[in-house]
Amino acid sequence: MASLSLRHITKVYPNGFVAVKDFNLEIKDKEFIIFVGPSGCGKSTTLRMVAGLEEISSGELYIGEKLVNDVEPKDRDIAMVFQNYALYPHMTVYDNMAFGLKLRKVPKAEIERLVKEAAKILDLEHLLDRKPKALSGGQRQRVAMGRAIVRDPKVFLMDEPLSNLDAKLRVQMRVEIAKIHKRLGATIIYVTHDQTEAMTLGTRIVVMKDGIVQQVDSPKNLYDKPVNLFVAGFMGSPQMNFIDAVVEQEGDDIVLHIGQGRQYIKVPANQAKLLVEGGYIGRTVVMGIRPEDIHDEESFIQNSQDSAFTTTIRLYELLGAEVYLYFDIEGYDCTARVNPRTQARIGDNVTMAMDLSKLHIFDKDTEQVITN
Amino acid sequence: MISNQILQTTIDGIKEISRVDFCVSDTDGKVIASTFEVGNEFNNAISSFVNSEADSQVVQDHQFFKVYDETQLELILIAQGSNEDTYMIGKMVTFQIQNLLVAYKERFDKDNFIKNLLLDNLLLVDIYNRAKKLHIQTDAKRVVCIIETKNEKDSVALETVRTLFIGKSKDFITAVDEKSIILVKELEDGQGYEEIERVCNTIVDMLNTEAMVKANVSYGTIVKELKEVSRSYKEAKMALDVGKIFYSTKNVIAYNNLGIGRLIYQLPIPLCKMFIKEIFDGKSPDEFDEETLSTINKFFENSLNVSETSRQLYIHRNTLVYRLDKLQKSTGLDLRVFEDAITFKIALMVVKYMNYMENTEY
Repeated sequence: MASLSLRHITKVYPNGFVAVKDFNLEIKDKEFIIFVGPSGCGKSTTLRMVAGLEEISSGELYIGEKLVNDVEPKDRDIAMVFQNYALYPHMTVYDNMAFGLKLRKVPKAEIERLVKEAAKILDLEHLLDRKPKALSGGQRQRVAMGRAIVRDPKVFLMDEPLSNLDAKLRVQMRVEIAKIHKRLGATIIYVTHDQTEAMTLGTRIVVMKDGIVQQVDSPKNLYDKPVNLFVAGFMGSPQMNFIDAVVEQEGDDIVLHIGQGRQYIKVPANQAKLLVEGGYIGRTVVMGIRPEDIHDEESFIQNSQDSAFTTTIRLYELLGAEVYLYFDIEGYDCTARVNPRTQARIGDNVTMAMDLSKLHIFDKDTEQVITN
Repeated sequence: MISNQILQTTIDGIKEISRVDFCVSDTDGKVIASTFEVGNEFNNAISSFVNSEADSQVVQDHQFFKVYDETQLELILIAQGSNEDTYMIGKMVTFQIQNLLVAYKERFDKDNFIKNLLLDNLLLVDIYNRAKKLHIQTDAKRVVCIIETKNEKDSVALETVRTLFIGKSKDFITAVDEKSIILVKELEDGQGYEEIERVCNTIVDMLNTEAMVKANVSYGTIVKELKEVSRSYKEAKMALDVGKIFYSTKNVIAYNNLGIGRLIYQLPIPLCKMFIKEIFDGKSPDEFDEETLSTINKFFENSLNVSETSRQLYIHRNTLVYRLDKLQKSTGLDLRVFEDAITFKIALMVVKYMNYMENTEY
C-alpha cells in the first residue's frame, strides 16, 4: 500500500470551467479518506485525476514517492470501483474477477492465487463457480469489489460504489467495505455525497464545495467543530439550525439577541471572549445549534435558563427511537431531535433550552466560524 | 474470424471434462492453441497428414484430426492418446470446432453487413435481403452508441466492450475506423433513453475500471427501422464532436441533449467569423482575462442572478456589478439583460467552435 500527496492540484476544463481549485492533501498509508460534498463540487473530478482518467491542469500528484501526473492509469498501481458496474453475465464469479488480469496477460497460476485470495477476503469462495444471475445484490457488489482487489493495488479509488443499491443493501455493504478496509489494510479514497457513509467509513473526511476544499478532518471534528457555515450545514441530518442574532453587551454578559423580540441567549464566557476580541459587539452573526442539542426535558430546562425559549410546535415526527419537533424561533425554522417520551405535540406551546456548550457562532459575511 | 483465445478456451474446457490433452495447429504446423507443451515435434507428421486422404490418423501415440470449414481444410486437431475413447472425444472436439468456425463466419458476415449499413453502402433492397439471410430483425428499436477511448486501436477496450455484450446476440459491436468502437444496441419494448443512458454510463465506468482507459460515449436517437440505423450513427458521431467542443466535462453525450451546440456546429466558419467581428468588433472573447471569464460563466450558470453569483464567487455584490459594467463598456453587451446575455453566450460558443475547428485542421 502507499501514501498519496496531492499538491496544488487544479482542474480547468477546455471550456474554462474550474472543477477543482488548488487542492492540497497528504494521504497516509492505509488511510480511508472520504471526499464528500454536493454534486458538482469536484470530488469525482479529483478522484478521476488521481486515477489518471482526467488530466491534471496544474499541480503535482505523488503516489508513494513517484510523481504520476503523466503516468497512464494502468501503470499507476491503482484499482477502481465505480457506481455503474456490470458483471459479465456469461462468466462465472471466478472469471469475472479474473477478466481484468487476463487482459493484462497475468500468468494463469498468479491469476488463480489472486482470485482465490480476494474470494477469501470477500467471503466468495463458495460462489466462484456461480454465474451473476445466481447471486444476490450484495454478492454481486462483492464480486465487483473483488475485481479491484485482485489487482493488488497500492490505492483503491471508489466513486459512489453503493449509490445504485437499495437502502438496506447499502447499509450492509457499508459494513462490508469497512471490514474489507481492515482486512486489506489498504489506502482507500472514497467519493460519496452521502454523509452517513462519510461519517461511518472515513478515518478522515474532505468536505468540498465549488471545487474548493472546505475542511479536512476526522468525522467527529467535522461534526463538532465545523470551520464554516457550509460544513456545519452539510454534515448532520437533520441539519444544524442557523439563526441570525445580534451580539450585544449587557453588563458583564455577552448575549445574542434573536430577531426583533425579547429572545436573548447568554453566550458562555469562553465564547463571549472571542466575540469581544473579534469586534463583533453590535454586529449580526449566525448562531448554529444542532437539533440534538435542543432539549425539552424539565430538568435540563431548569439548569439552562440562559438559553430557554418558548415556542409552538408546528410538526411532530416520530421516527421510532427519536422524535423530530419542528418550530420556529423568532421566524427562523428550527428542528429539535428529542426523546420519544416527549409530551410535546403539534400546536403545543412548549419551553425548550439549548445546550450552550454545543453552540457554534459564525461570521455572517465570511461564513467562517468564530467559535465552536 | 475465430480468435485463438476462443479455441484455447474451448480445448481447455473440454480437457477439464475429458482429461484428454489437445493441440490445435494450422495446416502449416503452427500451434494456435494447446493444453500441453508442444515444440516442433509434430511438424513433419502434420505436413504428411495434411497431404494424406485420411480425415484422422494415429501418429506417435497421438490422434490427428482434420477440421474443415465447409470443404476447405482449416485446422489440425491433435488429441493425446491412441485409444478408442480418445478417438471419440477427438471427433467430438473436431465437430465442435467446425461448428464454431461456421458460427464465427456468420458473425463476420453480420459484422460486414452492419459496417456497410452504418456507412450507407447498401441499397435499400440489399438491406432487407441481407438482413433476412442473416436473421436480423428489420423493424426492431435500435440506437447507435460510439465509444471513443483515449488511445487509438485499444484492443483491451474493445475486448472489454465485446465481453460486456457477448451474451446479447441482438446487439452488434463493430468499428469503422481505428478511433472508436460502435455499439448497435437493440432495445426491448418499454426501454428508452433512460436505459441507453444507463448502458452508456456502465460502458464508461467499466472501461475506466477494467480496461483503465478514459472513455467518451455518445449516442444518437432511437430508430425503429434497420435502414435508419445509419442516421442514428451519424447523430452519435456528431454528438461526440459537439460534446468535445461544448460539453467537455461530460463523458456521455446524447444527440438529443446537444441543444444550441448542435446548431452552432453546423454553421460555416466564414459566417461565424463575421458574427464575432460584428459582436466584438474584431476582439475575441477568449482574450478576456481568467477572472472575467469565470465571472461570466458563473453568472450564466446562476441564470443571471447577481446575488447568487456574487455569493458563489465569494465577492461583494458591488464587485460583481462593477465587473459587469466594465464588460458592458468594452463589448456594449449588458449581461443582466436577457437579449444581450444570449448574444454573448452564443458568441462564446461560436468562438469555442471556431477554435476547435482551427485546431483540428492542423
